[in-house]
Amino acid sequence: MEKLKLLHMYPNMLDLYGDSGNVEILSYRCRERGIELEVSTHMIGDRETDFTQFDIIYLGGGADFEQQLLAEDLLSCKDKIAAAYNAGSFFLMICGGYQLMGQYYKDSNGEKIPGLGLFDYYTSASTDKRCRCIGNIVVETEIDGEKYKVIGFENHGGQTVNVKSPFGKVLYGNGNEFESSAEGYTEENVIATYLHGPLLSKNPKLSDRIISYCMTVRQGVKYLPKPLNDKLENDCRKQLFERLGV
Amino acid sequence: MSIKNAFTIVFGKLMVKILRLLGRDAGNFPGLVLWTVNKDCLKAFKVECPIIAVTGTNGKTSVTNYLSHIFSSGGKKIITNPQGNNLDTGICSLLLQHCDMKGRVKADYLVLETDESHVPVVYSKLKLETLVLLNFFRDQLDRNGEVETLILKVKKFLETFEGNVVLNADDPNVARLGLANPNNKNIYYFSVDKYSGATDKPYEVGEGKFCPFCDTELVYDYYQYSHIGRFHCPKCGFGKVKPYTQIKNVDLSAPSFEADGETYKTAHNSIYYMYNMSAVYSAAKLYKFDKSVLRDTFEHFEVNNGRMERFEIGGSRLLVNLAKNPVGANMTLRVMNEQEGSKELLFVLNDNLADGHDVSWIWDINFSVFKDVDRVITSGTRAYDIAIRIKCSGYDPDKIFVYPDLDDAMKALFSTVGEKFAIANYTAVQPTRAAIKRYKNSCERTEEQNGKA
Repeated sequence: MEKLKLLHMYPNMLDLYGDSGNVEILSYRCRERGIELEVSTHMIGDRETDFTQFDIIYLGGGADFEQQLLAEDLLSCKDKIAAAYNAGSFFLMICGGYQLMGQYYKDSNGEKIPGLGLFDYYTSASTDKRCRCIGNIVVETEIDGEKYKVIGFENHGGQTVNVKSPFGKVLYGNGNEFESSAEGYTEENVIATYLHGPLLSKNPKLSDRIISYCMTVRQGVKYLPKPLNDKLENDCRKQLFERLGV
Repeated sequence: MSIKNAFTIVFGKLMVKILRLLGRDAGNFPGLVLWTVNKDCLKAFKVECPIIAVTGTNGKTSVTNYLSHIFSSGGKKIITNPQGNNLDTGICSLLLQHCDMKGRVKADYLVLETDESHVPVVYSKLKLETLVLLNFFRDQLDRNGEVETLILKVKKFLETFEGNVVLNADDPNVARLGLANPNNKNIYYFSVDKYSGATDKPYEVGEGKFCPFCDTELVYDYYQYSHIGRFHCPKCGFGKVKPYTQIKNVDLSAPSFEADGETYKTAHNSIYYMYNMSAVYSAAKLYKFDKSVLRDTFEHFEVNNGRMERFEIGGSRLLVNLAKNPVGANMTLRVMNEQEGSKELLFVLNDNLADGHDVSWIWDINFSVFKDVDRVITSGTRAYDIAIRIKCSGYDPDKIFVYPDLDDAMKALFSTVGEKFAIANYTAVQPTRAAIKRYKNSCERTEEQNGKA
């Protein structure tokens, strides 16, 4: 049986808004293709984690309080995480995870949490806690040269700027900042986004892009995932796109 | 009374009377108008009886109904909001309906379900005697803000509060609030002894795994459900309290529990129901209600408002339960799994304002525990989301049927005869009950017609 390895970072702290569902969805879609997704975790204080051995490194979103608690541990892993990134591990990061990989995050209490600095973007939140981007969101991204609508739910106070290569163009909702045209950050082996939902639940092609990338790296030849029965997902997308008028 | 407050009451009473003449149900509206005219309108009411407020994420409506039933025993007059309406404007409307032209509210007790985020605003203006705090879970995060923000709001209120606080010792999010005002001696913890379904490891995701006083990871002897259980902080000792009420010998098969040496039979048998009863027992004990009243209430009283409500239709049995968050849904799934034999599940999911527009909480429900579930039917404005969620837990997608329309869903659900369970979220629960009743009536009409033929 083929195997992929996923590292879930701080699952006990970064698990707001059902984000752990992304791991469940990746496991499900791997299993249906005869691939075992082996899930490991990295928690605060784990000194032995070898980041480079993982195909996927995953961080979900968390509350300000939890982000502060884990910032120090994250920084202590900086070199090892950068090594995994350079070696081609796939990075999937949601909301708080997205923010923490940038230069810094200034939270809603005005406290500056240093980021890992893997990317150039940085984030500040308004100190008015009610000032948040909240609601359904649809962005248009590109997968294998084809446009693909990604639907989710955003809920963030942080406004992220200096984003060189956004994940998608906003069709409905706010994105990186209030009423911005761009959402998230992406590279060949990076998807960083504010989308909860969880992200992969209604966007099966996005899950498959991640699985294809990892399998292609493993096998050295282009991996084409077997189509699955996505009737529920497709019906759901159709219904919501109609409702939101996109 | 100030002239402004006197005017507020007269104006409000007139508004309620006019609405009644027009044949309208007043609802939240008069309170909303009053609040707009006078931000301090709650101060215009003169309440001389004790006010008991119930707050927390899950179980507010049930506990409020149980307490109202007990507090009205012996012919006492109570004023309560049994259907929710638990925001500042709802409570304002309620008082307006029950006061005289001078704003006097006459009753023996006010028992008020109160939304967590509205506790400070309401009870900075009305004199609260007892606050019952049940639990804090993730609930409608996009509307309320993160759980921590909510806890801090209630904490701030409690820092200067000197009345009774009845609170759950087994929920770290709640227990910490017992220390909010070190000068308040009227702190009454309730706790439930380890029950047969308790686990060593958390079974579902929860909040509050770190000590709020020193950031150390909390240590649990056992988990009852979600993050509720016997916990303590290994560094500063947070969590070690002496409860006012210790519920013992929870027996889910009887079902019954023991308190202060006496056994009480109950109408339902889940652990979260036992925690609700523990809160009810503690508040009733504080007001010295007779044990015979409690015994009768625990054994026979039913809220029947989509809270563990039972229906029988054409040979099928259906249990309907509200679930606004993962903890509520997980509890219904537990009850479902504890029942032997095959069964079917209906899940109705809406994403209206009062539900919170974000439905991602369904991914924190643990569906991998499904046992002997033959078929799943989903309905509501987000019927597909919940269908996808159940599918990705590994359940056969060919056994999942999506009917966004509730009447279609009922027809499908009752196309077979057997044991059924329904989970509905906040705005879905009343439409679901209505659809069940419509379906039941249409069956009975058909039977009558067949009988005549």
